[in-house]
Amino acid sequence: MKIMRAITGFLIFLLVFFSGSAACAKVYIDINSPAFQKFPVAIPEFKNLQNTGTGENLSAWFADQLSRTLKITGFFNIISKDAFLEDQATAGITAGRIDFSSWSSIGSDFLVKGGFSYSGDRLAVEFRLFDTIEGKLITGKKYWGNPKEKKAMVIKFANEILMALTGKGGVFDTKIAFVGKKGNRSEIYTINFDGSAPARVTAYDSLTLLPRWSPDGSKISFTSYKTGNPDCYIRTLKNRKTERISHFRGLNLLTSWSPDGEKALLVLSKDGNEDIYVKNLVNGSLKRLTRNRSIDVSPSWSPDGRTIAFVSNRSGSPQIFLMNSEGKNIRRLTFEGSYNTSPCWSPDGTRIAYEGSSNGVFQIFSIGENGDNPLQLTFEGGGGESPSWSADGRYLTFSSRFGKQRRICVINSNGLNVRILPAIRGIDIFKTPSWSGHLNLY
Amino acid sequence: MKRNVITGMLVLVCSFLLIFAAGCAKDQGTVKSDTGLTQAQSSAEGTGEQSLQEQSLREKLMAEAAAFQDIYFNFDKYDLKPEARAMLEDLSNWLSEHADFEVTIEGHCDNRGTAVYNLALGERRAEAAKAYMANLGVAGDRITTISYGEELPADPRDCESAWAKNRRDHFIVFPKKQ
Repeated sequence: MKIMRAITGFLIFLLVFFSGSAACAKVYIDINSPAFQKFPVAIPEFKNLQNTGTGENLSAWFADQLSRTLKITGFFNIISKDAFLEDQATAGITAGRIDFSSWSSIGSDFLVKGGFSYSGDRLAVEFRLFDTIEGKLITGKKYWGNPKEKKAMVIKFANEILMALTGKGGVFDTKIAFVGKKGNRSEIYTINFDGSAPARVTAYDSLTLLPRWSPDGSKISFTSYKTGNPDCYIRTLKNRKTERISHFRGLNLLTSWSPDGEKALLVLSKDGNEDIYVKNLVNGSLKRLTRNRSIDVSPSWSPDGRTIAFVSNRSGSPQIFLMNSEGKNIRRLTFEGSYNTSPCWSPDGTRIAYEGSSNGVFQIFSIGENGDNPLQLTFEGGGGESPSWSADGRYLTFSSRFGKQRRICVINSNGLNVRILPAIRGIDIFKTPSWSGHLNLY
Repeated sequence: MKRNVITGMLVLVCSFLLIFAAGCAKDQGTVKSDTGLTQAQSSAEGTGEQSLQEQSLREKLMAEAAAFQDIYFNFDKYDLKPEARAMLEDLSNWLSEHADFEVTIEGHCDNRGTAVYNLALGERRAEAAKAYMANLGVAGDRITTISYGEELPADPRDCESAWAKNRRDHFIVFPKKQ
């Protein structure tokens, strides 16, 4: 199924040249290291390899688009054009025709050169990433297809660059779902990782809250007051069908899907007391996991499905607890501070991000699954709430306050490089983001 | 006689709509369409003197029902303060004298902290009021609770005086639906 989708979705064809070179590339830098310095990279304008003047001149467009794309990852320092020494008119785009010392001398350890040409209505683009210190090609690709796919070509090569330098591709093919609120109405929206393609998912003209992606990215769950009571729904994105999956009196909140997408953790207050339940989405069965007079909310499944992190005020203030998937072996995880909520498990299962009160401001933290090595990740006055990890664990998204507004932010999981996602016209409050898995967008 | 019953019902519907519309404007929240209000109003207008008296009685009752004030809570708390208990006692007494009325209790929070946790906290605030009233003898099936968490603030500003107004239970007292 996945292969089929990969094939049908592949509108761009690619050719790897010098395929051996990437395999023997040296190990670059561990980007999770606290000492990580951004990769300095220069991206001069792409060459028009044809010189026939047909088609749009994309020289500057490719350089700008790739610069922007790499910058968004938070791992690259794009060298300013003003610093370039190499004569662009005479220099080529292959190793033999590049003066590497003119790049390494301006501090650009890496260099991307590219060229494009048209053949009929097809656009062909070559990208090469060089190590300027060693004067060597690291990786090169050629893509061709409809000119409309040019952004996808850039993103594909940005992914190659990440793969070559960090050992892991990016999350360009992911989306973030969130609540957009205007006055007393809210709807669910999605936006791409790079801030492009904002889209509204619901249109109920009511209060609609708490989006959560299914693991395969085909569905989004949410809670809506559209019939009066906060009931829980699942929207299938492809056919826009919406199914009401829980409508007990009181709260019906879905806060976590099981890793296989067949079950969901719900918070229900049908007995006048918020407790955590697991619902089988295939056969509809419901099983209660917590039986406590305290508030028990916000359950989040570990990636292996064995452990559930949740919030309880059973010890007096809201704190994060862990239990096994049967609701047994309950133990407290957070002890610092008097308000720790919104647990979200990292994709590798080693850390839990959460929101905690620090000097009266809510900030994003992460902590080891054994309560070890707690880290504060955000420090700004606007704080951070409702964290959600990216599929590769390299980023977190959360909401932050800017005066009366709240916006969705993305941060590298080491706490660096905060990026604010673009606003959508007419909306003041953006909150409770949820990050999708890989969606094969490109 | 029959005509009086019909007129009375019209008046009741009309006042219910009026109260409902006023309640919506006040809490700015669960807004439903208010079209039809003008029509109901005008059809109630040509009634005789007797039904006008009836109307004023009913209006007095509806005004009383709408006069119950919000009760307030401390941050992250859902225990009832003494003044909240006093209000709930007044409301319970009034409901015991007016068996044809019931109440919806909306639990609300300020917008600090987590949206999800605040939904639970709002639920607790509403349930705390319900439990207290049930203890005073109001039948449980006359009290409905709903939590709006932090989503429908009474005052949307971000400051302690606004937050204090938003950590509340709001009461909607209305005639039993037939």
